[in-house]
Parts: sequence; structure tokens; C-alpha cells
Amino acid sequence: MIQLNDIRKVYQMGKLPFEALKGIDLTIESGEFVAVMGPSGSGKSTLMNIIGCLDTASSGEYHLDERNVAGLSFDQLSQVRNRKIGFVFQNFNLLPYATSFENVELPLLFNGKSAKQRKERVRELLDKVGLWEWHRHRPTELSGGQQQRIAIARALVNEPPILLADEPTGNLDSNSGREIMEIFQGLWEAGKTVIMVTHDNTVAGYAKRIVRLLDGRVENGRKSA
Amino acid sequence: MKTHLLKLYMSELRNRRKKTALITFAIGWGALSLLLLMSFGRGMSETFSASFKGLGDNILIVYGGQTSKIHQGLPKGRRIRLYPEDVDLLRSRIPEIAEITPESFSRFEMRNGDRAVNRNVNGVNPCFGFMRNQIPQAGGRFVNDLDIDGSRRVVFLGWKVAEELFGDENPVGRRISLQRVPFTVIGVMKRKLQSSAYEGMDSDQVYIPFTTFLNLYSQRFVDRIHIQPEKREQSKWLEAEIRRVLGRKYRFDPKDEYANQIWNTVEGAEMSGKVFKGIEIFLAIIGGLTLLIGAVGVTNLMYAVVKERTREIGVKMALGAKRRHIVYQFLLEAMMIFVKGTMWGGLVAFNIVALVRMLPISYDVEGIAGYLLRPRFSADIFLLFVTVMGILVFMSGIFPALRASRLNPVDALRYE
Ligand SMILES: Nc1ncnc2c1ncn2[C@@H]1O[C@H](COP(=O)(O)OP(=O)(O)OP(=O)(O)O)[C@@H](O)[C@H]1O
Ligand SMILES: [Mg+2]
Repeated sequence: MIQLNDIRKVYQMGKLPFEALKGIDLTIESGEFVAVMGPSGSGKSTLMNIIGCLDTASSGEYHLDERNVAGLSFDQLSQVRNRKIGFVFQNFNLLPYATSFENVELPLLFNGKSAKQRKERVRELLDKVGLWEWHRHRPTELSGGQQQRIAIARALVNEPPILLADEPTGNLDSNSGREIMEIFQGLWEAGKTVIMVTHDNTVAGYAKRIVRLLDGRVENGRKSA
Repeated sequence: MKTHLLKLYMSELRNRRKKTALITFAIGWGALSLLLLMSFGRGMSETFSASFKGLGDNILIVYGGQTSKIHQGLPKGRRIRLYPEDVDLLRSRIPEIAEITPESFSRFEMRNGDRAVNRNVNGVNPCFGFMRNQIPQAGGRFVNDLDIDGSRRVVFLGWKVAEELFGDENPVGRRISLQRVPFTVIGVMKRKLQSSAYEGMDSDQVYIPFTTFLNLYSQRFVDRIHIQPEKREQSKWLEAEIRRVLGRKYRFDPKDEYANQIWNTVEGAEMSGKVFKGIEIFLAIIGGLTLLIGAVGVTNLMYAVVKERTREIGVKMALGAKRRHIVYQFLLEAMMIFVKGTMWGGLVAFNIVALVRMLPISYDVEGIAGYLLRPRFSADIFLLFVTVMGILVFMSGIFPALRASRLNPVDALRYE
């Protein structure tokens, strides 16, 4: 369960402070499928980064599964990211010098899994996204859709309960986008908490709840049926 | 670090070969030029000291002369000659003399069948051989005590004389005639570099026992006396002692440097030795400066390597990398680049040195080739390079790596 209380994020723009999040109160239960929407600059990415422990709030409280994230060290946060959260980025963010296999394997390496476990897991995940035959290839040899599927496999390899995706279809054509969304749909059905940012209403249609941001605030805090 | 991460990092490195080629090359080039510079400097220095020792290491050569000062009522311009007894006199009066031998010479015709040359024949004692660094080639020997006692007719040949009289054949055991007197060849001098000489180079001389020389050629006086002090530092003092002893016997002023002239090779060697040490130090300084410039370049490139990978650092952090995982990777990268560059540079330098050393050199005084073509690749130079460059590369890797590891994952991810 994700619990945000009065989360604020202040960026220093030159000398002036700029408040990108102006007091967010938000609760997301385990197993929800949430789309975060809102105009550009409304703070969607900022919010996602805080939820994903990639960044810390300037003030407010963030409880992830009842645990206050604010008190954790860098390496503890790394561990949270490694075990609890899977990330899917708009620009895929695959390691350019590593193969598909190595990219998917990465979270397992940081998790200290044995070679045998890693091999099995990577194979399983690459099969799941239908790309095992590409496991020796590097990202530059793959299409955008394929890269994003590799990225999803990587996000899931440690079996995190939460999947975060910031505009996962933003760089993809509509066909590839649909494929990705179907994968997300399946993951949600399998019990994952899925939170994604999108501008696209069709994509947002897959979600069961929409959180609208405007100017650093949540427009609708409640569930939308 | 866990080995499985190592495997990934190595695989990434392999795929980044082209990106790191420049920096690898820079390090290799640095290694190469520094090692060559130092090897050639060292070689010159070594050749110098070898060729100086060619005349003899740590010896004084004492001649007769003509007085230039009035002394005890005797006029100047008197001729002073040395005699065989002076050898014993000096030895008994000056205990600091380690080795002493007379040397007298005459220019004779020497002949092997119909091959004949005119060369100097020198009568000497056995210690002359090692004092003057005249090492016999395999299968031969120098004049020994038995030769002296028996006034044997044996001869030791300079290598050029041996070539002139025997060509490619082995002269040892063969007979030649010196002024029509038959002699047996007992040895041929090993080739050596020699930077200074009197009466021609040692390669053009032949040597016979001093007693034999006296018997055959009935020259009473000796031309030179060679003296080796026990300690190198005594040479200057010994000069004065020799003049004091001989001055008393022949009644000349001990301060009269023309009455008996002394060639002190120790002093000369020290002087020129300093010059060459100076050159070596000079080269080392140039090398050090080169290294410094190289290090600035390497530091820059290393910094750029880390900067360029900031986004990837962010990705790794997002996926659960701890701080140390990030630092390790860049240290590893710096280390691998360093090892590879150094290996190539070192290997190429080593081979160039080895190849150059294979070129033939002449053993003549003027042979500049002896100085340029005998570089010495030494382990200490290489170690010095590895240490200095290693530290620099480590530093230039660790600082950007630490900086990168301290980034917020978001900031690293956003990095363009
Ligand atoms: N590192 C930063 N430094 C300063 N200002 C920032 C920083 N990151 C974001 N901002 C500002 O905070 C505000 C919110 O940015 P954010 O990226 O969260 O918007 P967004 O809703 O994701 O927009 P988009 O739809 O364009 O991705 C923007 O005005 C942005 O300029
Ligand atoms: Mg955004």
C-alpha cells in the first residue's frame, strides 16, 4: 500500500524556489491499476519519482507498506527499488553496452541471485514478453516496442509487487503501445499494483482509476468507480 | 565485489572497446615514449661506463717525463725514465697500491705465413689483463705467472690483429713470429668498447710477458707503469705519493707534474660519469613532464568516460545498485583501460629495445652507434611507470566515480 500525506517537492530554480508538488494526499491500495494524468508540467513525473524512491520529497510523509521511506539510507532505498518496484521508462533506459539478457539480469545481480536462478528467471521473463530469441542482442538492434518489452521483463524479474511506468507508450506507435498495455493489463490481473503516467486517453482506459494532477495538486483524490 | 557483477561489467567493457580506445591508446603511448626515453638514456650511460672501463677501471698510468723545475741544484729539462725496479719500489713504499705492472712496447713486424702487419708488442705482467679489462675470448687466456717465470714466448692478441693475421680461423695454439722470433698464441681479446687510449686501441695491440720482452728486446727502461689503488677515492692522493717516492729517487720536485706524468683515469671517469648521469636525469625529467601532460589527458578522458555514463548509472541505481556497485564499476573500467594501455605500451617498447639491441655496433672510439643502439629496458623503469601512472589513473577514475555514486538517481537519469 502506498500512502502519501501532504507531499511537497520544491525545486531550486536559480535563486527562486519552485514548488512542483503542493501538498499531495494520495493512497493507492495493493492491486490497483492507476493512471496519473494531467497537463505537462503538472508534476506527474515528480510524483512518480517520489513514489518510486528515485527522489525524495521536500516535506510530507510517504509510507510504503507501512514503512516510512524518509528515514532510509541510499543503499536501503536501493534495496526497496530492487525488491518492491519495477520501473518502465518512456525512453526504455536499457543499458546500451549490455545484451537483452544482461539487461534483464541486472536487478537479479543486485539482488545476489545465483547464476542458475538468474538464468531461469531471465529465460522465463524473456519468454513471457516473447523475446528470448533476442537475448544476445544489444538494445540498438531492437525496435522501440521490443526494447520496451525488454524493459518490462527487466522491471518484473525480481517479482516486485509494484510496477511504475512514466509514459510507457510515449515513444511507441499505437500497435506497440497496445501490446504494452495488454501486458500491463495481464500483470494487473495477476495481482500487481500498476501505476502509470499517460497523456493518452486510450491508454488511460486500461486503468481502473485515474488520478488527475493540476499545478502540483491532485484534482480528484477519490476513486473513480 | 561479487563475481557475477564483475562478469557483467567486463562484458559492458568489451562492448565499449571502441569508446575507450582513445584513452587506452593515450596510456599506451605514454608508456611507450617514457619507457623508450628512459631505456635509451640508461643505455647511453651504460655504454659510456663500459667503454670507459675499456681502457681500465680505476687505474693510474704513470709515465716518465722531463723536469720543468730546478730541484736540489739540478737543472730543468732533465729526462726522467722509469725502470723495472721502480715497480717494486712503489709497491713496497705505498701499501695502498693494490695492483701494479710495468708496460713496455715496441713496434714490430708480426707474421703468420705470408700475412704480416706492423703492430705494437707490449710486455706486461698478468694483472695487466684485468686492470685493463682485457678479457680473453672463450678457449684462450691472458699472460700468467708461469709465463712470467719462464719468460715464455707466448702472445695475447688484440682482436683486430687476430683478424688480420688469421681471418676467421682460431688463432689459439697457433704460432706467429714477432720480428722473426716464434711465439705461441695463448688467447684473443674479447671485443669491448673503449673510449680512450694511448698508442692506439687495445684491439690493435699484442701482449707478451714482461720478462720475455726484456730478454728479447733489451730495452732497459719501461714506458709506463699501471697502478690500481685499493680504493677509488685514493687516486688523487696516490698521484702525490707516486711523485713523492719517484721524486726522491730521481731527484725531482714532487710538485713537478712534467717530471713524471700521470694519467688518472678515475678522475676522468668520475667527471664524464657525472655528465652522463646528468643526461639520464635530464631525460627522466623530460619523461616526468611528458607523463604529467599525459596524466592530465588521461584524467580528462577518464572523467569524460564517467560523465558519459551518468544516465546508465541512474538506470543501475533505479534497478537497485548500491553506491559501491557504481564505484566498483568505474574503478574496474579505469583499471582495465590502464592495464591494457600499459601492457601494449610496455610490450612495444620492450620489443623496440630488443630489436635495436640486435643491430650490430662497431667497437671503434668514434662509434656513436654504441651509444644509441644499446638501449637498456629495465624493470625498475617499467615499475616506476606502472606505479606513477597507476596512481594517476586510479585517482582520475575514483573521483568522478565517487561523484557519480553520490548522485540522486533522478538526477543521474535526467543527465543528458
Ligand atoms: N530537476 C528539476 N529542477 C527544477 N525544476 C524541475 C525539475 N524537475 C521538474 N521540474 C519542474 O517541476 C514541474 C513538474 O515537472 P514534471 O516533470 O513532474 O512534470 P510532468 O507532469 O511530468 O510533465 P510532462 O508531462 O511534460 O512530463 C515542471 O514545471 C518542471 O519544470
Ligand atoms: Mg513527465
